[in-house]
Amino acid sequence: MSVRKAKLINQRETILEDMLAGFASAYPEIVRLTADGLIVRAQPKAAGKVGLVIGNGSGHEPAMIGFVGEGLFDVNIPGALFAAPGPERIIAGIKAADHGAGVLLCVSHHAGDLMNAEIALELCEAEGLENVEMVVLYDDISSAPKGSESERRGTAGLFFTWKMLGAFAETGASLAECKALAERIRDNTRTLAVALTSCASPITGEVMFDMPEGEMEIGMGVHGEVGSGRHKIASADTTIDLMLPRILEDMPFRAGDEVLVLMNNSGSMTLMELYILHGRVGAILKEAGIKHYKSWIGPYATTQEMAGFALSLCRVDDQLKQLWDAPANGAFLKGV
Amino acid sequence: MAELWSGRDFVNWISAVSAALTAAKAELNALDSALGDGDHGEALSAAFADAAQKAAAITDPMPSTVLQATAQSLFNRMGGASGALYGTLFLRMSAVLKTRDDIALADWREALTAGLAGVQSRGGAAPGDKTMVDALAPAVAALGSAPTLTEGFAAAAAVAQAGAEATPGMVAKFGRAKFAGERAVGHVDAGARSVAILFIVLADFWKEQNHGEN
Repeated sequence: MSVRKAKLINQRETILEDMLAGFASAYPEIVRLTADGLIVRAQPKAAGKVGLVIGNGSGHEPAMIGFVGEGLFDVNIPGALFAAPGPERIIAGIKAADHGAGVLLCVSHHAGDLMNAEIALELCEAEGLENVEMVVLYDDISSAPKGSESERRGTAGLFFTWKMLGAFAETGASLAECKALAERIRDNTRTLAVALTSCASPITGEVMFDMPEGEMEIGMGVHGEVGSGRHKIASADTTIDLMLPRILEDMPFRAGDEVLVLMNNSGSMTLMELYILHGRVGAILKEAGIKHYKSWIGPYATTQEMAGFALSLCRVDDQLKQLWDAPANGAFLKGV
Repeated sequence: MAELWSGRDFVNWISAVSAALTAAKAELNALDSALGDGDHGEALSAAFADAAQKAAAITDPMPSTVLQATAQSLFNRMGGASGALYGTLFLRMSAVLKTRDDIALADWREALTAGLAGVQSRGGAAPGDKTMVDALAPAVAALGSAPTLTEGFAAAAAVAQAGAEATPGMVAKFGRAKFAGERAVGHVDAGARSVAILFIVLADFWKEQNHGEN
């Protein structure tokens, strides 16, 4: 499948700086770009509340720069393209997120994110920085079998955590409570993605991985990591039928459960396609007796112009629903 | 005659690595795109270019300060899993050599052994897992049984390259390539190849420094 390689950038060496400067210039009421390349809230959180921080490789916009703001993250540490930031930058982010009640470093489970976070935490300890905790989050059922959940990678479904954890920290919850809530949301979330095309790296200008014409990959990761299998491209309903039952079984989600649904556009899907796909999701949930609370459809975590989407479900209770409905003001996420 | 490395030798070696990686950028990118995101050459050469610049700026360089500056460039310019692992390799070497100058074969062995241990404990990979360890582990072993640095580096370069060339037959257990399972078979691991380049440059650089006296 042909992939658009030409991208409108200035020069590849400054791609991250140029993007961050442009982003910050668009949303001065929400974020500020610091001299050391962190995206921080324009109006810092009140003192005495837990700070939330995350680092990530760039190239997934609006993740994560678009989720800094009131009711969301305090600080994002954007790394180079698809590469987690190094430990020194993570420590700078932790310090910027500290409002006197401790800092929770969120880690989307990928080898680089985890290693750099671990090194950063070791260095924090050596520096005597106290009250810093790390929580490792994952959701992609195709990346490791049931029973090995902690080996799974973090993908689009983590956005349930970002939204609800962000709201929870605003309530003045303690560091330990924030960490426990993040783990609870993680343990109630399952995601499976599909990709129809590859995408091009804006740095090298090369296609990132091969996708034969007319096929799709179920279980595609957010960096083109290949998933659990190739299929012929099918109809929207058939595609959901290949995906959703696996998600429901994995948890498992049962009749009477109440769920949030995320349909994340990984790049160049159309909303028309996503709405059609969601129709089948709604029908299957209804048939299974699973209550649908709310859905979120759009490009929240992308892989450049990759065509594909992630389907993610999160089981919620009254507390989580309340947090879901709480105010949020990020550049790419307003109060739900 | 004794073969000893000064801090200045380390500066020059890092600079030679930077030049070699710049030349190998496209090759490493291509290897990485088969299973990763296709920027290993780009990211590693940028980090070493930064390291070479920082190392050259150190007044009175010690082996450990050069290695530490290199580690910081790898951690912070490269980032990702590769930056963490490469950075750990150089940081552990730096820690071993601390205040030492005139680095001899025994010091090199000790430093690289600690570096390898650091990479393995940080990343969890063993030989055969299709990672940089497949080039690094045999290179460290080769140095361990060599009579001189010149011979040791030459042997290390040869086995590191052989190790990288053996990775196509392996199924990846780490990094993004692990998600490819059997489909990863047939591709050279980019990290193993870049480690081989590191040792090839080491051997060539030292041979030149020593004017073939050994």
